[in-house]
Amino acid sequence: MTKFAQGMRRGLPVMALAAVAVVLVAACGTGVTVLQPPPAASTQGKATETLYQVVFIIGAVVFFLVEGLILFASVRYRRRKDDDGTLPPQIHGSNVLEVIWTIIPIAIVAGLFIFSWQTLNTVDAVSPSPQLKVEITGFQWEWQFTYPDQGITIVGLPDKHPELVVPVDQTIQVSLQSRDVIHGFYVPAFLFKRDAIPGKTNVFDFTPSEIGTFSGQCTQFCGLKHWDMRFDVRVVSAADFAAWAAQAKATPTPAPPSPSPAGSAGPAPSGAAQPVPLGLTAQNIAYDKTDLSAPVNTPIQLTFVNNDPGIPHNVSIHKDTPAGEAVFTGDIVTGVTTKVYDIPALPAGTYAFVCSVHPSMVGTLTVR
Amino acid sequence: MATTVLTPTTTRARSGLYDWLTTTDHKKIGILYLTSSFIFFLIGGILALLVRTELAQPGLQFMGEASYNQFFTMHASVMLFLFVIPMLAGFGNYVVPLMIGAPDMAFPRINALSFWLLPLAGTIMMLGFFLGGSAAEGWTSYSPLANAKYSPGVGTDLWIVGLILIGTSSILGGINFLVTIFKMRAPGMTMFRLPILVWTILVTSVLVVLGTPVLTSALIMLFIDRNYGGSFFDPANGGNALLWQNVFWFYSHPAVYIMILPGMGIVSEIIPVFSRKPLFGYKAFVFATCAIGALGFSVWAHHMFTTGSVYLPFFSFMTFLIAVPTGVKFFNWIATMWKGKIEFSAAMLFAIGFLTMFLIGGINGAFSASVPVDFAINSTYWIVAHIHYVLFGGSVFAIFGGLFYWFPKMFGVKLNETLGKIQFVIMFVGFNLTFFPMHELGLMGMPRRIADYSPAAGWTDLNLVATIGSFIVAISVLPFLWNVFVSLRSGERVGDDPWEANTLEWATTSPPPPYNFDRLPEIHSERPVFDERHGRSLPASGH
Amino acid sequence: MTAGANALTAVPETGEDILDVSFLADEHARSGISNPVLGMILFIASEVMFFAGLFAAYFNIRSAAPVWPPTGNIEFDLHPHLAIAGFLTIMLVTSSVTCQLGLWAIRRGDRTGLVRAFTITIVLGVLFLAGQLYDYSTLGFGINDGPFGSTFYTLTGFHGAHVFAGLLMLGVILYRGTAGQFSARHHDAVEAASLYWHFVDVVWICLFSLLYILG
Repeated sequence: MTKFAQGMRRGLPVMALAAVAVVLVAACGTGVTVLQPPPAASTQGKATETLYQVVFIIGAVVFFLVEGLILFASVRYRRRKDDDGTLPPQIHGSNVLEVIWTIIPIAIVAGLFIFSWQTLNTVDAVSPSPQLKVEITGFQWEWQFTYPDQGITIVGLPDKHPELVVPVDQTIQVSLQSRDVIHGFYVPAFLFKRDAIPGKTNVFDFTPSEIGTFSGQCTQFCGLKHWDMRFDVRVVSAADFAAWAAQAKATPTPAPPSPSPAGSAGPAPSGAAQPVPLGLTAQNIAYDKTDLSAPVNTPIQLTFVNNDPGIPHNVSIHKDTPAGEAVFTGDIVTGVTTKVYDIPALPAGTYAFVCSVHPSMVGTLTVR
Repeated sequence: MATTVLTPTTTRARSGLYDWLTTTDHKKIGILYLTSSFIFFLIGGILALLVRTELAQPGLQFMGEASYNQFFTMHASVMLFLFVIPMLAGFGNYVVPLMIGAPDMAFPRINALSFWLLPLAGTIMMLGFFLGGSAAEGWTSYSPLANAKYSPGVGTDLWIVGLILIGTSSILGGINFLVTIFKMRAPGMTMFRLPILVWTILVTSVLVVLGTPVLTSALIMLFIDRNYGGSFFDPANGGNALLWQNVFWFYSHPAVYIMILPGMGIVSEIIPVFSRKPLFGYKAFVFATCAIGALGFSVWAHHMFTTGSVYLPFFSFMTFLIAVPTGVKFFNWIATMWKGKIEFSAAMLFAIGFLTMFLIGGINGAFSASVPVDFAINSTYWIVAHIHYVLFGGSVFAIFGGLFYWFPKMFGVKLNETLGKIQFVIMFVGFNLTFFPMHELGLMGMPRRIADYSPAAGWTDLNLVATIGSFIVAISVLPFLWNVFVSLRSGERVGDDPWEANTLEWATTSPPPPYNFDRLPEIHSERPVFDERHGRSLPASGH
Repeated sequence: MTAGANALTAVPETGEDILDVSFLADEHARSGISNPVLGMILFIASEVMFFAGLFAAYFNIRSAAPVWPPTGNIEFDLHPHLAIAGFLTIMLVTSSVTCQLGLWAIRRGDRTGLVRAFTITIVLGVLFLAGQLYDYSTLGFGINDGPFGSTFYTLTGFHGAHVFAGLLMLGVILYRGTAGQFSARHHDAVEAASLYWHFVDVVWICLFSLLYILG
């Protein structure tokens, strides 16, 4: 063996020790700011945070105990240079020890389980009389927030993520659903997420306890723009919420027009009436729907998804038939991409929508 | 041993390539498994580097989302199904017949078929890259995202076909292992004298035989949904979106144990040899392995805590329980090292690396068993950290330990120990640099599988660290490749039993002859080679 | 590694244990259940899990459906097909019996009995498949007609595929039987194939009860 190899032989356990030590120091050296969730901004989140601390402390104790034993054994019982070649005592096992290190982990996990279960009952509790109800709908790749009792709807746009405005210290009940694939509604500051699943409505409560704006994001991989499916939760005082709601209702815009906090989105384009969201997807040189309907004299916000990679499509709207007078021609976009068309309010009647590139892609838009 | 002398071999071993392509010798098939899996490890690693490069900074600098989604999907698919699972099956193939004193696997031709399905399946999966894009729904391929409506293109269909072939390979391999272990043991090799690696392969095979067909059924239903207008998973057509998750995880959670149990087995072979002591608590290891296997089938829904459709307390409790047999193993490994004379060979270093890192993968997994905490960390980078501490810190470290340990048996030459230790240190540092910061990113709210993030999110620095770490891991593979190359050319030639090991594979020549043994030592314990070297060991105390 | 070092490299001359090297193992391993039969039992266990996955999907979708079979433009009633499905069931059960008769014959060393019984089994199996295809052609719905169509055709279709695979197995056995490759001592392949055929039969009985009788 070379001198270098001998050096390695001696040095390696030390180096391994040092490497682990670096990790350990990184884990605990800088104190509580390491491996801690963000400060919880909801009542439920605070319960989870407490549970996290307990799990964290137990985990840390187990970590230091077991890593310590491994490293101690590695260093203390390494083969010495002057080893005489005899065998160490050949111990095959000990039933007493086996029982001890079976029982103790069982006790620990049983305790953790009970504490988790208790916390779960807090976090998962659903109030029979929530103070505010919100319907949240995920779709590729935005969110829609509807306040059924206030008559407010907010829809996200690709260039403007939506904002969920809620009053502080009130129990807010969310009905979560999806229009297409599975999404995940996640607000890190609430230490909470729940999946939005098509064909199923998930209901949960949260009670924000801090005023401020908290970012949220889709956590269940949902396709191309999954990374960009973001939103904000703005927690305001009860009075501010009432003011916001009144204004949002009076001005039928999808987002609050009034002073919005720094960093959050500005007002959406306002129109005579609140635009109706519609969706249309082009795939395999065909639209996914051949019939669309929209209310009369209302602007339409058409989210058009072109799922054909490298193939250009658009949506062009004509009176009566595809040969009729064009009332709206959308920009041609090359897939895979999503485009939102703001279509002006239309009088009642039947329209044809067609792809300017592929005349075989047609459908009927009924406005009534 | 059979005493009848049968017809002596008349034909010389056919040379070279043809022999490797047509072999039914479990040792050659084992080496084929290891080689093919290692190639897929390199491919999967390159995909990982692409993903990490894109994530180093906010903004989509190097690729669009479409490419990113394909790369992370295929990274996971390749690493799980074409690297870790077949790599461990490769060790099983090479070592199990030798360890139980058998001449070959029970069904050698089926064994060859199991192997050759893998490169075929891998090629089919990869073809997507050249046919308009591979699968891009994540390796979990959640429906309805994976339905034709949202994921058109042939890539996902190729992914399904590839995975069905891999599943078939696994099932045939699992049956082969079970019959081999049950029926082909040498005289005296009772079940409670089987090496722990054989036990872990046995339990793994049960999981494979009972779990994989359920995944096959799910994949077939998805294929029908995509191509023949089926309505299994799309709620818009009367299907159920969560059905996919239930059926998928019914296999894919046990699959995690399929990917870690043989790793535990490898470590359980290495630690006693280099500590010069018997494995502490042999029977406890056997029972713990069986317990993990049994619990493995009752925890699948812990991947679905956030769906709101799972009976949470049950699955939470079962998931917590998994910690118990795993903990038992940890204490037994430490007790094996205790008062030993530990020799820090490269194999032993990787085994200790396994202990220190897999421990973290166990502890950060316990956070997810606690349901409300799971609500906070599920689907974030915390989970990415968790699976990599289990599958890289666990399985990959065990795999490299196994390669250093059995290389002399396979080729008659040792891998260079110094290069091995250099590799270990670089890999250990790079691995922790890559994956430890991900805990923090997860807690800060960074979801997994995102192609980009906002500079305002505060995730930039840690992502950069993780990316640097991933390149250090990549660099650590270079000494290994060089090591294999130089060792095969001019490695240190060693005898039959260079490590003074315990189990039967060291009783034959290195490399072993076809059909493995000319003579077998008497088997009175789980350490027949040790017994022969030192005289029969004293009657086991304590069990 | 010299050529002479290995006394165990010879391969048996008959095609019997073609996928089996248990002849290389020690005598003690030959006791009890044979390798091919154990392998087949394990394979059937995995097949049970495969169908369990499909059945689980069926029950899951069915339990979530408001009405079953779904109502609408398409007629999903399978009861008019009960007669033909019942007839097919009788054929498949009979084929299981003849298969078992063939196995008993070869256990006694009766090669003619094996060939005769397996010929009848194969004919019944082919008739079953033909009957199933005919039944498909008279159904008023397809695999793309909602969850009922998807589950029905997937379950029965994959069962049919297994019948087909079983027929191939029986065909090989029959061919080898006529070539005289089986005897009272050596007939592991017959045991394995008949196990598989019984399994296919049991799956059909479950399907028939579930889809046609319960509806």
